[in-house]
Amino acid sequence: MTFLATHELTKLYSGITALDSLDLELNPGIIGLVGANGAGKSTLIKILLGLIKPTSGSARLLGFDVTRQEIDLRRHVGYMPEHDCLPTDVSATEFVAHMARMSGLPHSAARERTADTLRHVGLFEERYREMGGYSMGMRQRVKLAQALVHDPRVLLLDEPTNGLDPEARDEMLDLVHRTGQEFGIAIVMASHLLAEIERVCNYLVVIDAGCLVRSAPIASFTERTQVLVVEVEGDISALAQRLREDGLTLQQENGRILVGLDDERAYDLIRDRIADLGLGLLRLEQGRQSLEDLFRTPKTDVDDVALT
Amino acid sequence: MSLSPEPEGSVYDLGYRSYEGVRLGRPHAVLSLYFTSLRGVFGFGRHTSSKILPFALATIALVPAVFQLGVVAMAETIDFDLISPGDYYEFVQWPLVLFVAVVAPELVGRDQRNRTLSLYFSRPLLRDDYVLAKMAALSTALLIMALVPQAVIFLGNAMAWSDPSDYLRENWRDIAPIVASGAMISLFCSSIGLAIGSQTDRWPLSSGGIVAYFAVSWILGSILVNSADDGVFRYSLLFSGFHVMRAFTLWVFGITPDAPLEGSLAGNLALADVPLSFYVFVAVLTIGVTLFIVHLRYRRMSL
Repeated sequence: MTFLATHELTKLYSGITALDSLDLELNPGIIGLVGANGAGKSTLIKILLGLIKPTSGSARLLGFDVTRQEIDLRRHVGYMPEHDCLPTDVSATEFVAHMARMSGLPHSAARERTADTLRHVGLFEERYREMGGYSMGMRQRVKLAQALVHDPRVLLLDEPTNGLDPEARDEMLDLVHRTGQEFGIAIVMASHLLAEIERVCNYLVVIDAGCLVRSAPIASFTERTQVLVVEVEGDISALAQRLREDGLTLQQENGRILVGLDDERAYDLIRDRIADLGLGLLRLEQGRQSLEDLFRTPKTDVDDVALT
Repeated sequence: MSLSPEPEGSVYDLGYRSYEGVRLGRPHAVLSLYFTSLRGVFGFGRHTSSKILPFALATIALVPAVFQLGVVAMAETIDFDLISPGDYYEFVQWPLVLFVAVVAPELVGRDQRNRTLSLYFSRPLLRDDYVLAKMAALSTALLIMALVPQAVIFLGNAMAWSDPSDYLRENWRDIAPIVASGAMISLFCSSIGLAIGSQTDRWPLSSGGIVAYFAVSWILGSILVNSADDGVFRYSLLFSGFHVMRAFTLWVFGITPDAPLEGSLAGNLALADVPLSFYVFVAVLTIGVTLFIVHLRYRRMSL
């Protein structure tokens, strides 16, 4: 089932292109939306919510057209904005219950679900206090609670770990992961930090300058990032030379060789060449680059091309 | 909750539960927002300090009524009105306008300042629904401020009258114009308050703007009408909020302004000698235009 689809979605802000004919088709899951600041992540999320109108193109979320069926759609959507959005002089309980009623929950159901949801995000006694005195971590939890309180079918989270210290960040990521994994709520989470996406999401959408760079399951990204780390006693440059002649992609760096695992002959070739050269094998193990390394590499490739 | 209370000291992870109950439509959301906003106008559910100014101004608006009751009570049976219902709003116009200047910027500015609007507008209600709820809340608050003193006077007069049923028989016809003029004044002040209040999230600017509109148009209108001969300046009072409200009240009560007191609103209206129906038209037009400005303000807002 396609739950999020965009077709040539374009948004121009007085000459600046925020989204450039974006075509997406995604199945429900925990979807990470990655891109640098200004890549168009927030713009995409806001268009899906109907907060801003696209310049051209169309988008459907949960089967609803985002510009024509926005009221029906928003019944089933929870949104956690990037920016602070909480009043300071009311309590979390009062505020979240109010937001639940705004989503259409009757009075008593709103109160009941507010209590449940605030407990779920880890706010207990402090939920009766005015939010002005809350820490950043608590405020982020309330923001998540108000997005969850009406039991949405999809949750749109814009940089949910913004401004959090490492511990609070871990807790927030756990919370998001659990919400998506255990409760079956589809999640679209925008972040400029790949490490976060890698921890929480099972699908990755990369956009840059309003264009789709890549859209694939996280697993397929990590496959590509599998490398073999080889360390030998002896002339390592000779080994690297021979392996290159065999057609392997590799990188030589401070006394070791990193061999890409996309070629299935890699293990055999490495074993054979080491034997041929009579070197002593010190280390042969699978290493994994993080996603961030992956996106750094194509960039250097481009630079290399430009130089030659 | 209907579940049995959890034993103290033990942790029960009920986990996340999905919601299968009803989801009500926009009218429910509008009504909820209306009641929450109305409470907020008077500072309920907020700091104690948020209650001080609204209640102080509401009390001041009650002073003339209480004063009149006191006089009536002491004089035993004087069968006349010190302040006639048609004149009451002229005595309390400043408390009413100051009330709007205090609460309107809070009513709509807070959501802009705290950036809560993106939460509202990503929920199943239209931006106009939000405007409608806020307008209704502010108008209701003003209507309460306008009508409570009138009710106090009316009932107080009836009690003090030599024969209360006689008073009711003679004056019941006043009830409709009292309510109609009160409603019109509430709508007029509210729509202007929202149009100015929604333009910025900085309350000193919008509060100042609201007071400035009423004060400047009042002073300019009075000066122009008194200084000039029969030229176009006669129409300057059409731009003065206080004069428009006064003229509307006179029109509803069917009173012709006859310059009883020089410099008073009614006196100036008599001097200008523009048909009262013009002011009624301006009042309706102002409400329409200002609400349209509010509508545009929210429609164009990018969040």
